[in-house]
Amino acid sequence: MNDEKKTPIPPGICIPWEEKAKELPKIIGDEQQLRQIWEENESLAYTYIWHCLVSF
Amino acid sequence: MAQDKEALYHERLKRYTTALRNGKPDRIPIRPFVAEFTAKYAGYTCQQVTHDYRLAFAAARKCALDFDWDAVLGNMVYVWTGLTQAIGLKYYGVPGIDVSADTGFQYREPAEEHAFMKADEYDALAEDPTGFLFNVWLPRVSTDVAPIGAPSTYRNNLSFLKGGMAMMDYFAAFGPQNELLRKECGTVSAIAGILKAPLDIIADKLRGYLGLAEDLMRRPEKVLTACEALMPHLLHVARSSADPLNEVPIGFWMHRGCVPFISKKHFENIFWPTLRPIIEELWKSGHQVLFYAEGKWGHHLEAFAQLPEHSIVYHIDQDDIVKVHRVLKEKFCLSGGIPNSLLSFGTPQQVRDRCKLVIDTIGREGGYIMDASAIIQNDAKSENIQAMTDFTREYGVY
Repeated sequence: MNDEKKTPIPPGICIPWEEKAKELPKIIGDEQQLRQIWEENESLAYTYIWHCLVSF
Repeated sequence: MAQDKEALYHERLKRYTTALRNGKPDRIPIRPFVAEFTAKYAGYTCQQVTHDYRLAFAAARKCALDFDWDAVLGNMVYVWTGLTQAIGLKYYGVPGIDVSADTGFQYREPAEEHAFMKADEYDALAEDPTGFLFNVWLPRVSTDVAPIGAPSTYRNNLSFLKGGMAMMDYFAAFGPQNELLRKECGTVSAIAGILKAPLDIIADKLRGYLGLAEDLMRRPEKVLTACEALMPHLLHVARSSADPLNEVPIGFWMHRGCVPFISKKHFENIFWPTLRPIIEELWKSGHQVLFYAEGKWGHHLEAFAQLPEHSIVYHIDQDDIVKVHRVLKEKFCLSGGIPNSLLSFGTPQQVRDRCKLVIDTIGREGGYIMDASAIIQNDAKSENIQAMTDFTREYGVY
């Protein structure tokens, strides 16, 4: 077990972009756009699980 | 005709929002939270409106039009069991399957030993709430989702695909429904967004009430830490689902965070400190919150009175209307106070008498919205709903 305290994942996100970016080759285009679209889709998955909990 | 409805809509929106801000409109707005009553009135079974949200939407519009109400919800039979079945959620009793077709859906809390979260899992929840929900909670509450580490299955994959698509379909349908309410009925969509208290979430969906009650005695610090971890997420859910124009409030459904379900000490040390900052944060963005205070919250009115002026609307279920008026009325709009038992078993005259008492006691100076005490189900009599509506329209003129 890693004893290091993890940084909490902020609301609206399931897998942070920083974690995803590590899996990718060196980004040679517009990283900001890649991040934005990643996070927009993340928010859909986040909405799904939190509304399962809160609304349904 | 369409123009008439549009004018009517604006007239009602002004009436409703004036009252929400504790002001005095032209007359008392009527905003009944009608759930399975809509099915009965429109000629559907509970199963029909619960399992096909399009029928629920149609029934809501029929009631709004026929009763000529100022504001309603697009669908107060909110739990669409088509969606919950697609996900495989175990905790609903579905009309037509688990209960009769003419009984409203039920929430089934598991026995303590089958709670969806174990007593020793508070740290895991607090460390990563979203991960815990996906990895631990969802496989336990769904018949179809495979636990992490178990082989994936066809049913598992379909649960996410069907569940996700169905949820998008359902949420996206509320925009057109609200437009139809406006165009066909001139009726305002009464609330937008959802909030629940961190402690209620732990009781309702994670530990169960009995499990939570034990945890509050044995490991209150763990409960507090978990509630604190849930706070930013529940704030996010509320804010992201709220009315961007800040005209109508966020619905806050209050369950078992009051005495005697929990002690006053636990209210003061855990429930309220992990809820109050959410309300204050929402208000900083102009989002008002409707405290739908199911049951009796009389022990906690003084705490609510500390919130910023106009930041909440307080809905009365079984509270003493005189006490609520004394403690909260100066700062906040009030709603409700017409007992559901009266709407089910009383006579129209008794309903009119109660409406008069409530209006005379808490509604004379504005800042009051007429509604039943709790969500109106299919046991309410149509003639009593009509009496509540007609009396308020006649007597509730300022």
